[in-house]
Amino acid sequence: MLLNMENISKSYGPVKANSDINFTLGKGEIHALVGENGAGKTTLMRILYGMEKPTSGSILVNGKPQSFSTPADAIKSGIGMVHQHFMLFPSFTVAENIVIGQEPGKWNGFDRKAAVAAVEELSRQYGMPVDPNQKVESCSLGVQQRVEILKVLYQGADIIILDEPTGVLTPLEVKELLVAIKRLASQGKSFILISHKLQEIMEVADRITVLRDGRVTGVVDAKHTDIEQISRLMVGRDLAQMQRSTPKLGAPVLEVKGLTMPGDRGKPLVDGATFKVHAGEIVGVAGISGNGQSELIGAIAGLQAASSGQVTLTGQDVTGAPVRKIRELGLAHIPEDRYQWGAAKDATVVENGVMGHARRQQRFGLMRGRSIRKMVEGWVKRFEVKTGSLDTKVQFLSGGNLQKLIAARELAQGTPFLIAAEPTRGVDVGAMEMIHGELLKRRDEQGAILLVSSELTEILKLSDRILVMNEGRIVGELPSDEATEEQISLLMAGGKRQ
Amino acid sequence: MNISKLKNGIGALVQPVVAILLGLLIGAIAIAIVGGDISQTYAEMWKGAFGSFYFFTNTLSRATPIILVGLGTTLAFRAGFFNLGAEGQMILGGLCAAITALYLPGPGWVKMIAALISGIVAGGIWSAFAGWMDAKFRMNLLITTLLLNYIASLFAGYLVAYPLKDNTGSAAMAQTKMIDHSAWLPKLFHGMSLHAGFLIAVVGAVLLFLYMRFTVSGYEVRMLGSNPLFAAYGGVQRGKLMLYSMIASGGFAGLAGAVEVLGTQYRYLDGSLSTPGYAWSGIMATLLAGSHPLGTVASSLLLAALQTGGMGVERNTEVPLEIASVIQATLILFVSAKISYSFIKRKKARAQDGSVV
Repeated sequence: MLLNMENISKSYGPVKANSDINFTLGKGEIHALVGENGAGKTTLMRILYGMEKPTSGSILVNGKPQSFSTPADAIKSGIGMVHQHFMLFPSFTVAENIVIGQEPGKWNGFDRKAAVAAVEELSRQYGMPVDPNQKVESCSLGVQQRVEILKVLYQGADIIILDEPTGVLTPLEVKELLVAIKRLASQGKSFILISHKLQEIMEVADRITVLRDGRVTGVVDAKHTDIEQISRLMVGRDLAQMQRSTPKLGAPVLEVKGLTMPGDRGKPLVDGATFKVHAGEIVGVAGISGNGQSELIGAIAGLQAASSGQVTLTGQDVTGAPVRKIRELGLAHIPEDRYQWGAAKDATVVENGVMGHARRQQRFGLMRGRSIRKMVEGWVKRFEVKTGSLDTKVQFLSGGNLQKLIAARELAQGTPFLIAAEPTRGVDVGAMEMIHGELLKRRDEQGAILLVSSELTEILKLSDRILVMNEGRIVGELPSDEATEEQISLLMAGGKRQ
Repeated sequence: MNISKLKNGIGALVQPVVAILLGLLIGAIAIAIVGGDISQTYAEMWKGAFGSFYFFTNTLSRATPIILVGLGTTLAFRAGFFNLGAEGQMILGGLCAAITALYLPGPGWVKMIAALISGIVAGGIWSAFAGWMDAKFRMNLLITTLLLNYIASLFAGYLVAYPLKDNTGSAAMAQTKMIDHSAWLPKLFHGMSLHAGFLIAVVGAVLLFLYMRFTVSGYEVRMLGSNPLFAAYGGVQRGKLMLYSMIASGGFAGLAGAVEVLGTQYRYLDGSLSTPGYAWSGIMATLLAGSHPLGTVASSLLLAALQTGGMGVERNTEVPLEIASVIQATLILFVSAKISYSFIKRKKARAQDGSVV
């Protein structure tokens, strides 16, 4: 075997991200690594690429034990990684980006001609056409991907880790990439492919290793398996059924009709989304992150513009309306990314807590300091937000604690409609139960909730109806008592409904 | 809670204090290089700034326009944008105040108040113009505010050199006629240069502090500056709020010009507002104070003291006036070092946000 990772374990404090993982890779093999978010794929690859040290276990390349403490060590041993988000300099040319770190030199520095020649040679050898003199910023994402792979090849990698390589590509570019991967493998390069898209994996991989909760739940030959089996291995746990009363549906609160949002290169980010959320129900949106959920939420909440379609909230057209108007009409919003949208890091707990409440908590334009503090203090107590004081800057709060504060703030808006995007990301089990309980309570009080989550368990536990998004389209709608995790993961991965 | 507040306060003070000490240290080296006596020079500097009641009030009066400009910059920085156009806004404010006081009929106090208001309005409009270009044409505020300075300064220079030129006196200076005595800002003490503008500046600082701290829109301005996406998400109307902050920011600078004209110069004299570098001192004061309104008052006083002290040094020693500029420049260098340091830290944090799933 070219690569042996033996009994790799990695703990972060009490959390075991990897336990006893064995992973092998042969010469010319394409080995896919799959699993849900947080299953431990990332940690394993970070260990292989020298970005993390394993707590225990060993890595052997060509039978020789290796210890990587930086990516540079890993690169020396012939391991290269193409990250999900490209690491290129947009204003530099393709050739400059590829040779960076090992630039051909001459007496007066960088030898541009040699670099271009080297890139041309490389591009011919591996059959990946690029124009060495083009600037990266004017390349399509598919070409940028190629540049990334060529960069890794230029560094002399025999083992190439591809992290979600097709996430940003158009279907045609995906096809080209898969063909290129296969050709490179036939030339003796080995690939580790991390992906959520099971169809692509079935198409290209030789072997598939499935991780769940930091453990290997299966290593299967791609020839002898199918998407259903892999989905089961990925999910494979019994759900703790929470008692949910039957929903008492009221009038529709949110109506979305034909919502479409343009993407970068002809591929719309949201493509004709149409659905309703009624009072007294939770509608879950399932999907692999990056399939248009963020943009859908952005359009409903007034943060992003849609190119066509209509959003109606409590009977009023709010398409393209300012956020304040939408909020006044009845929107509360637990945002997906707590640091980007949900908080101001260098503001205090109180200041972060009062957003959206300030205009209600005022007299003659002055904030009612005492009642605001009391309100925020109440949330801090109830949600057990661990903070030094109400005047601590939230950058000193842990992510989970900040999430609790944000959830409390938005639940307290008391609006008829609530967007809960990844409402429990990074919070501990106790707080998760509490937030879930609050969401269900809101629903029983005739609130309408749109729940967006990449955690299937969360979706299944809370939703009355489930919408599945794939590549910007709503590809399925299932009542939650009929839906199974396998069925949803299949739809999420772009598979067909049974 | 109070302890953590106190700690924050002390933490915020460490940087400027260290910057000041380093500034004085490098100033000492410069003094030694030009062959001056370090302790004597600093003693003269102290005397020049605070040595007597006369010098002290002189320092306060020098600080007045710096404070007002600094407050405007503070508001802009807090709202999250740059306003480097204080000089132009100040010039137009001063010019409009002079014209109003000269040509508006009525009793002196009416002229004075109208002149102050016209100064605010002129500065505000000039600043809002840059804001409008940003909103409409996506022109970078940093550049527009900076370049509008030249337009304002040269335009004002033209007006006082030709149509509004004072031809009554013998001197062929580019200046307006002198404003009637009744419209002057009253002096606070007989025979001293300190005028009521200083009180206006201090009251302005307190009002700005209270506004930022206790009002809803002050809260929104702070959140806009702290994380514009968070503000947008929470329903803060960015465009409107930004325009208002721009107007207010320019209004402060315009008021600085008006106060200087009505309290010290009594006419608009070409170059009288730009040569002493009030606007840039004001921006420095803001940086030094970390955009805190009351801190800006303190740092403006410090910068004014450096300048008046420098004059004292020049009067009584062989050391040139520029020594004060050396100290001032060093101060800014070390304060901006903090800014770029925290900027780098933020960049690093972003890079570590993880690119892998």
